[in-house]
Amino acid sequence: MARLELIIEGLRVGIEGREIVKGFDLTVRGGEVHAVMGPNGTGKSTMASALMGHPAYEVLGGRVTLDGQDLLAMSVDERARAGLFLAMQYPAEISGVSNANFLRTALNARRPESEPVPVMQFHRELKAKMESLQIDPSFAERYVNEGFSGGEKKRNEILQMAVLRPRVAVLDEIDSGLDIDAVKLVAGGVSQMLSDDMGVLIITHYQRILNYINPTNVHVMMQGRIVRSGGPELATQLEERGYEWLREELGIDEPLTEEA
Amino acid sequence: MAHTLVDLTPEQIAAFAANEPSWLQERRLGALGAAHDLPLAHRKQTPLEAAGFTLPALPQTASVTVGDVHDGAEVMELTQAIAEGTADLERHLGRLFSEGQDHLHALHLATFAGGVLCRVKRGRELASPLQVSIGLQGGSLFAPHVLVVLEEGARADLIVELQGEAGSEAAVRGAVEIVLGDGAALNYTEFQRLPGRVQAYWPRRAELGRDARLQWILADVGARLAVSDTRTYLRGAGSEARVLASFFGGRRQHFEFSHVMVHEGAHSTSDIEARGVLQGKARAIYSANSVIRKNAKNASGWQHEHTLMLSEEARADLIPELEISEWEVSAGHAASAGPVDPMQIYYMESRGITPVESRRLIVAGFLASLLADIPLRDVREQIADIFLEKVEL
Ligand SMILES: Nc1ncnc2c1ncn2[C@@H]1O[C@H](COP(=O)(O)OP(=O)(O)OP(=O)(O)O)[C@@H](O)[C@H]1O
Ligand SMILES: [Mg+2]
Repeated sequence: MARLELIIEGLRVGIEGREIVKGFDLTVRGGEVHAVMGPNGTGKSTMASALMGHPAYEVLGGRVTLDGQDLLAMSVDERARAGLFLAMQYPAEISGVSNANFLRTALNARRPESEPVPVMQFHRELKAKMESLQIDPSFAERYVNEGFSGGEKKRNEILQMAVLRPRVAVLDEIDSGLDIDAVKLVAGGVSQMLSDDMGVLIITHYQRILNYINPTNVHVMMQGRIVRSGGPELATQLEERGYEWLREELGIDEPLTEEA
Repeated sequence: MAHTLVDLTPEQIAAFAANEPSWLQERRLGALGAAHDLPLAHRKQTPLEAAGFTLPALPQTASVTVGDVHDGAEVMELTQAIAEGTADLERHLGRLFSEGQDHLHALHLATFAGGVLCRVKRGRELASPLQVSIGLQGGSLFAPHVLVVLEEGARADLIVELQGEAGSEAAVRGAVEIVLGDGAALNYTEFQRLPGRVQAYWPRRAELGRDARLQWILADVGARLAVSDTRTYLRGAGSEARVLASFFGGRRQHFEFSHVMVHEGAHSTSDIEARGVLQGKARAIYSANSVIRKNAKNASGWQHEHTLMLSEEARADLIPELEISEWEVSAGHAASAGPVDPMQIYYMESRGITPVESRRLIVAGFLASLLADIPLRDVREQIADIFLEKVEL
């Protein structure tokens, strides 16, 4: 398979008539880990949701291609089957549907109808992946995210990623709500999957997870676009000094949330 | 509204029942008289005047297929049971419809044709479920009668399927009667998958003795018009009844279902759990009533009704009621109807699951707890599959 290539150019996204993402550019290739950081409310989740096709967000302009295919022209499920995965900041709960059944259905959606995954093989692989993420085996039969703690939901998102093997994974604050050991575990799980076939875009507020994932690129997002890019040292700098110096340097006069 | 009966005379009934014992002929004629006297009950949201099952015609006999019958049980086509003169028939047939009888019940009792008798002997516990399939073939009107008698201490599972040949436009005017002796326990599953143009009127009655237990698992997917009222008399102290009712209406299907639990025995408990799915322009009128009569001390009656709306044009009316004439009881109800959560759909689609498959998963999850007690795995899966196949975008 050719090396993964996700190209985002001039992406503009609005919600309820208000423009939130205002020209976002980023290219992620196989084997790369891009970290996107930035103050609350600057549009990181909005950008990620628009990539996935969340119905509440409206794409106002720009272009996104995944391995050369026009991502924005696809429906949500087509985007997923084309290889996009979004670990959500607030994943939904689905009563009555077991995790295992949910994942098996998702895997089968990627295969011809006449060749569903063999059930035994599926359960064996699921069990192994759950073990490596230290998820209790009982979670296979529990209903999707129902009654899961914050950290359990995040682990479950990573489990889904591990099972579905996307081309590009967007992880939106996968580290918030995780305990210290779990951050390590999840980061390890992600790093293991990296290859030319897969790239990662990780949205985070904290340096900690980046200690284990080793980003190739770090970007700062403010006011709906990337305002600074660099290597891992940029994350360290932000961790130490916050965003104020950067605002000053860039001449951005921004209240904590958005402008009116 | 006696005018609907001008065509049906006592002579016709007598000829229709010519081979039957005299007690039954007399009962039929008595019922015909009652049908003349009782008006067709008016249903505000489901006008029945034009429905095929109100026709004062003589019905055909539905086909009845019976699965393996084990020692201790007897399952017989009703015409045969009548010919053999089984004692339970005279004692029970039609008895549970005498209370609050209406025009259609009476018309059914005057004209019923075939059906099935299931009997489980005293103290016997059946190792595997009894299975009965009632089918409509050809014909325009069917009136099967299902009578189930469990003697004292007997225990059984029974699965009844209602089906018909594709394209059938027949009407069904049937009835179910269940009599449970003291300490008897029945898990009754009924799967209604009649063809899409059938109109069905299908009331059910049950009577529970002391410490008897009944679970109604009712799954309705078929018919264009399905009307049923299910009434359970908890006569004995300590008796327990539970309804697990699921339905799925699509296109222009119209369902009117009601469940009534009548508590007469002290410490009797009942629980009604109903879950419906509606799509297209389907409509469901669903009511439940827990009636706690004087002297039913410490009775408890609970109701939960939820409807999942897959389309904006579907319509559900939920009508929960309580009628309580005793002090020390516990009772209550909860009802809700709402659309699928778009965030759940988005989440599933974001994992690559197609929109229609996402809805199927949600429907499967919504109904899972209601189908879980269906005794045979392949029957349970077949019913679930038929529910899920109905999901359209
Ligand atoms: N569904 C929504 N409805 C209304 N406003 C929204 C919605 N989603 C996002 N917004 C607004 O868009 C702006 C950007 O939100 P977004 O969630 O993208 O920020 P973020 O960068 O991910 O912040 P955080 O770091 O706190 O997660 C915020 O002002 C937010 O209130
Ligand atoms: Mg966010």
